[in-house]
Amino acid sequence: MKKLLFTLMALSGLIFTSCESDDAPPTVVAIAPNCTDNVQNGDETGVDCGGSCSPCETAVDPEPEEPEIENPATYSFLRGADNTVSFGGQTTRLQMGDEIISAFKTTTKTKAELAAMFTHEEGAMDFEDTELNTSGKNMRSKTAASIDFFASNALGQAEIRADFDGYLAAQVDEVFPNWGVTATPGVAGQIPDGSSTRYVSALGLEYNQLWTKGLIGAMVTDQTLNGYLSPAVLDAGSNTEDNDAGTVAEGKAYTTMEHKWDEAYGYVYGLNADKADPNADLGADSFLNKYILRVEGDDSFTGIADEIFQAFKLGRAAIVATQYDVRDEQAEIIRLKVSEIIGIRAVYYLQTAKSSIDQETPDFGGAFHDISEGYGFIYSLQFTRKPNSTDPYFTKAEVDAFLDKLMGDGDDGLWDVKASTLESIATDIAAGFEFTLEAASE
Amino acid sequence: MKKILLCIVFLTLIGACSSDNEGVEPEPSAGLKATFERSTMLTNWADNIIIPSYDAFSLELDALNTSFDTFKTDASTTNLIAFRASWLSAYKMWQRVSMFEIGPAETLGFRLNMNIYPTDSEKITGYIVSGTYDLSLSSNRDAKGFPALDYFINGIGADDEAIVAKYNDTDKDATFTYVEVVLTEMTTLTNNVITEWKTSYRDVFVANDGASATASVDRLANDYIFYYEKFLRAGKMGIPLGVFSGTTLPQNVEAYYQQGTSNELFLEGLSAVQDFFNGKHFGSSTTGESLASYLDALNTVKNGEDLNNIINTQFNTAREMVAGLASFRSEIENSSLPTEMLLAYDEVQKAVVLLKVDMVSAMSISIDYVDADGD
Repeated sequence: MKKLLFTLMALSGLIFTSCESDDAPPTVVAIAPNCTDNVQNGDETGVDCGGSCSPCETAVDPEPEEPEIENPATYSFLRGADNTVSFGGQTTRLQMGDEIISAFKTTTKTKAELAAMFTHEEGAMDFEDTELNTSGKNMRSKTAASIDFFASNALGQAEIRADFDGYLAAQVDEVFPNWGVTATPGVAGQIPDGSSTRYVSALGLEYNQLWTKGLIGAMVTDQTLNGYLSPAVLDAGSNTEDNDAGTVAEGKAYTTMEHKWDEAYGYVYGLNADKADPNADLGADSFLNKYILRVEGDDSFTGIADEIFQAFKLGRAAIVATQYDVRDEQAEIIRLKVSEIIGIRAVYYLQTAKSSIDQETPDFGGAFHDISEGYGFIYSLQFTRKPNSTDPYFTKAEVDAFLDKLMGDGDDGLWDVKASTLESIATDIAAGFEFTLEAASE
Repeated sequence: MKKILLCIVFLTLIGACSSDNEGVEPEPSAGLKATFERSTMLTNWADNIIIPSYDAFSLELDALNTSFDTFKTDASTTNLIAFRASWLSAYKMWQRVSMFEIGPAETLGFRLNMNIYPTDSEKITGYIVSGTYDLSLSSNRDAKGFPALDYFINGIGADDEAIVAKYNDTDKDATFTYVEVVLTEMTTLTNNVITEWKTSYRDVFVANDGASATASVDRLANDYIFYYEKFLRAGKMGIPLGVFSGTTLPQNVEAYYQQGTSNELFLEGLSAVQDFFNGKHFGSSTTGESLASYLDALNTVKNGEDLNNIINTQFNTAREMVAGLASFRSEIENSSLPTEMLLAYDEVQKAVVLLKVDMVSAMSISIDYVDADGD
């Protein structure tokens, strides 16, 4: 850039002199730089070489080199001797999520208690893990809360949060009272699914699945893809300047930009035992991490876990090296791959449920469980992110239409759902991605 | 950046080939300076907007004091209504000066001392009973200023009759004294701000016409955007809507005790923000150099459209949406999901990005405050 500016200035300076040369005293004759004047001028990078002249023989550094990216083997970054990777808040929220998931099956819990876990306030005794109680974090404030999708969408945010509040409340109001009742069309209760027992609403939905799988999108994916990996967050305020200069956040070992990236990482790998090498025990939480493992287990997608991890690691290393183009390229890879995880699982559950329904004696228990998981993944599609765009793979309106269709085959919701409906939604979802219906169905 | 470069080159070329032979220096910044003078904008801000607005606010406070004196002499319903009208009129004028938290206003913490809400009516009641209080303490900001007056004028009784009764009962002297202390502090603070602007700060402000983090333009632009984001958008709408807390907080609306006034105050604040953006002289339709004309001088476009127009259009859209709402309190209290008000809020929010990202980057102004996102 500087070189360009110099060239342009030099060029305009030339024209300037030529216009005035009529009146100028003869001693001030400007000679255009050329390749034989024994001076480094014009756009030359050495004396009479480089630029528009012939290349210089010895490599004179044409411009200050960008620091090289040092890509470590694991997600381990130090400043001096200090670890710079920190994402305690993300780990805390994932742990809260696991406790809430188990509370969904604790019939003694009240609506107020479940709501309080979701909206936890510092010091409230909402969790069994007392460390969580001392935390000022909660999940709800990070639900549908990304800068890219929700900064100017307070209504959408409120509606989505109301959905998750609603799942918690409905579990207590509708499902807990019928815990010991056999579910039938229009009646909430329990239903066998192989060796397991599922607890469903009158329409056959498992609210705990809707809540958990929905938050994979609304919290984990949204915070990661549309929040922390967004330049609006990474480059906010003086982040770029500070990161260029290596200025750390007050009292911390990391720059703010490094930290933001790590917080994205934390939503994906916050509960892995070795947080620098999370793929060693992938599946450590009940949210995205678990489904990266599931998709990794599908032969059509083997390698995706490493792709996501490598992109996180290289992007972080690029921040250290102040190479923001490389950083953003990795962010786009993560957006693509994480979005695919959600799309693949949505299709997978619909297709699996289709097989359960589409037989002489439909396996409702198995189908309801799979569809409930699928429901959450479909819901999550609105938080995915097409690479190099500001759009999700499916908008909220499209997602709502899928869900209406899914529940709309009859008055009793999933009791009436047709195999063709499941197939049709799965096909539409797969068509929005680059993977095939067949690959995702395995 | 490329556009600026092109500009520079183009301007230098013109300079180089201009007909006079004075030897025009092809200095890169010459082009921008020729089309926009920051000092002219500062002068317009100080002399045509800020100081006249403060003056008008001061007159409003005088009128408010007068109405109060009348009410104190004869606590009738008629005089209460007149006192209330003066309060509302002054409160609206306050919306036109609140954003200028720079210089003496910043030093004195003008906004924090004049308009912290919700006001703590229990605390106020306790003070009136005990008769011992120091309203200059920072811990008492929620017991004074316009919101405390709102309580005294609109909230101390269920209706006008009940309110007037409070000023005629045995405790009335203590109540009058408290209101008087509140009014006196507001008046003193305001006088101090105005005096300093007129005697010294005006010149300091205008002279500091550079382009750096401590220059007047950079600082007031930051204060202006901060006001828009935190006080107009969040304080008046977002916080009561529960956008930041997750639960709606209707008791946090401005002017809680008088239904509908919150809307009026917001709209006045929004108009003030827009007028300032456009450099509109106080009490006149004349405009001078402003953030808007600065953007025009820089030829700032976003997605092919003039940024100045985009911002004004966004302000107008926000105003229309908010103007269509029922009282903020009823919007929030009557629905678990205040849909219309949330939609209006989103329009108000959209201007934040235009100001805080697009406008400042065109002007090379750095935002000097950070958002705590509570990670």
